[in-house]
Amino acid sequence: MIDELKALLGASKVKTDAVSLETYSKDATPEFQGQPDAVVLAETTEDVVKLIKFANEKKIPVIARGAGSNLCAATVPTSGGIVLALSKMNKILEISKSEMLAVVQPAVNTLELDQEAAKMDLMYPPDPGSRNVSTIGGNISTCAGGLRGLKYGVTRNYVLGLEIVLGTGEVINTGGRLVKDVAGYDLTRLFVGSEGTLGVITEAIVALRPRPKISKYGVAYFDSLENSALAVEEIVASGILPATLEFLDNVCINSVEDYANLGLNREAGALLLFGDDGDEHTAESNTSEMARICQNTKGNLSVTRARDVVEADALLEARRCSLPSLARLKSLSILEDISVSRPMLPVAVKRIEEIAIKHQVVIGTFGHAGDGNLHPTIVVDKNQPTEVAAAHQALKEIFNLAIELGGTITGEHGVGAAKLPYLEARLGKTQMEVLRRVKKTFDPNGILNPGKLGS
Amino acid sequence: MSENEKVFSQNLLDRCISCGYCLPVCPTYQITKDESSSPRGRINIMRAVQKGELSIFESLEESSYCLGCRACEVVCPAGVEYGHMLEEWRDAAWQGKNRPLIVKLLLFVSTNKFFVRILGLFNLRNYQKKKKSDVNLMLGCFERGLFPAVSKSTLQIFNEVSLNPNQGCCGALHAHNGELTRGRELAKNLGEKLSGTIVTTSGGCAAHLSDVLGKDRVREVSQYFYEKQMLEQLRPIFKNQKKVRLGLQDSCHLRNGLGIFKEPREILKKIGDYQEVPYASECCGAAGSYSLVRPKDSKKVVEKKKEAIKKLDLDYLVTVNPGCQRQMATNIKKGPKVISIVELIAMSLNTKESA
Repeated sequence: MIDELKALLGASKVKTDAVSLETYSKDATPEFQGQPDAVVLAETTEDVVKLIKFANEKKIPVIARGAGSNLCAATVPTSGGIVLALSKMNKILEISKSEMLAVVQPAVNTLELDQEAAKMDLMYPPDPGSRNVSTIGGNISTCAGGLRGLKYGVTRNYVLGLEIVLGTGEVINTGGRLVKDVAGYDLTRLFVGSEGTLGVITEAIVALRPRPKISKYGVAYFDSLENSALAVEEIVASGILPATLEFLDNVCINSVEDYANLGLNREAGALLLFGDDGDEHTAESNTSEMARICQNTKGNLSVTRARDVVEADALLEARRCSLPSLARLKSLSILEDISVSRPMLPVAVKRIEEIAIKHQVVIGTFGHAGDGNLHPTIVVDKNQPTEVAAAHQALKEIFNLAIELGGTITGEHGVGAAKLPYLEARLGKTQMEVLRRVKKTFDPNGILNPGKLGS
Repeated sequence: MSENEKVFSQNLLDRCISCGYCLPVCPTYQITKDESSSPRGRINIMRAVQKGELSIFESLEESSYCLGCRACEVVCPAGVEYGHMLEEWRDAAWQGKNRPLIVKLLLFVSTNKFFVRILGLFNLRNYQKKKKSDVNLMLGCFERGLFPAVSKSTLQIFNEVSLNPNQGCCGALHAHNGELTRGRELAKNLGEKLSGTIVTTSGGCAAHLSDVLGKDRVREVSQYFYEKQMLEQLRPIFKNQKKVRLGLQDSCHLRNGLGIFKEPREILKKIGDYQEVPYASECCGAAGSYSLVRPKDSKKVVEKKKEAIKKLDLDYLVTVNPGCQRQMATNIKKGPKVISIVELIAMSLNTKESA
């Protein structure tokens, strides 16, 4: 099989040495690993087509991979097969200022695209936490979110068109450069978040937006998360749609303070980071209005506004340090990603605290207060089997909690192999069956990323 | 090595959370786009070696392809001490016939007092012996032969810095090339021989010495100059009535290991028309013995800098480590003069008030 593959693609693009099989057996998800049989580093759509046709004929699994920064084991080859690394297809093909769009290869880095767009006063709004490493293809495949979700939406709101190689090796182009286009089913949207189970993205057309001139920030402390949530409700009800509304719970505040010594208020129940972007006037008036609302909300302990870029950066540091500081507490950190409707947010956080106490594990929660997306992060010692087992029990209860509150098991990380066991609880039997039928349409032999969505 | 002997400190391996933030900053990953030649990939290789799933021999190539620049450490949210892990890796992998011949030669020469004296012989006799003080200059093993002006300029600039010609190697070369214990021993010996603060003109030596002796004992020369608040003594250097155009190539271990990158820049801003060189913070491919062990790969790493530097039209490209000085001078043929920061400081201090 390997010899045929090498003859087909050229020997330099096919790797089967023990080291390669090891390094492509994992992504950023802890506790998941699966050895592939080969790794292919594709350089062109043609390479991808050849590989898929070959694999389809021989019924070998193909797992497409961008930067491998996902947190749901979406790119772990759990059933072996061929890892299709797209990392070499990383060119920005075009940025059109007048059409406000970019045409990119799948492995273009998310941050790099935004930086290139910035040169034309444009921006690519989705900003997942991993954007300095993640790829556009990976972002589309997991429908990555980010910190600006409430105001700007998520990846799905910016995908205009895709070039896709289906499980049969056929190539289709969905959507295009058009703002309006209703010719046919919206396959573009279907592929967003499909985690490499329906086709391999080999090119994408994404929408860009005018770049805001300025961003302003402030930070407010509250005695409890419930009260900070009241402030968030009040802010949105007042008609402001802020670019930034992030929170840290008390566990996070203290672990950040232990780690980075930023002078945070350790007694506070919640830290709320707020901010907006736009032109000078809008950003300023919205941010000062948010500060006023926070001050007038019960349980508010203090409000600080950043006067300049340096001060703003200091405020943002607390949010940026959340994950690193939690990750340094113990050797295994499981970063989860449930999402609930905004009014349910305080209940969710309170119940997560109870789950932590019940299972005697440390759970720090931070997240996007504006859109209800929470990142409860469980940290345990990976060499203590009882702690690890407790973490998994806690995890299960967190998923159940999300569903009980009418929320979802994943807001922006994806399902992958990690959350597939919980998916039916969210979607129900019938919808799971529909997923399988959809997959069969695009990938009749089930070679694309088996053991994930649609399996 | 016995089956049970662990290659790596388990706590170092456990730190990595596999987020992949290190991928975009890794010079070898930038070239190959292959997970195996990224820091995360290499840590997964180390983990497999530790578990016995990969043999140390299978891991050899990546342990050698890595530049050891530690750019990954700066962006790591989990605080992975990659440099230490690489030292442990090479300590296990680069034994016997697996150690590159050129490395054997370098280690032999740098540890051999006789050879080191010969390297510096011609130049050493020009040094004025100064009386003992609590600030001592460390002489780079190869620098004293290759770039004798560097040490001389240092002694000229700082009156209080004394020189003990009878000193050994700091052991950085050993620690980075598979002789970790020896490398640490040499640093300790040097720490005993040179009392008080040790001033070094090499970013690589500074980082290794700091690691073993503690940061308080060691000062890299631009850091020392900056901390002594001598900036105001600098005078601009002119060429054709214009301030000279200056650029800097960072030293990886100085920047990534010790966090020193602002100090040399502040110095250059006082001396000339400072230009930030694109990719200045990225490894130049010298990487200790790397340019000798893997010359082809070393050239690939430096390649993108060449064009960028040409465009800047600099008069001087300034370095803070002898390896980088040699690498840049060798690779930039028709371009700015490559010079160490101390030589430039000496030039500036010797410049007359009105130019």
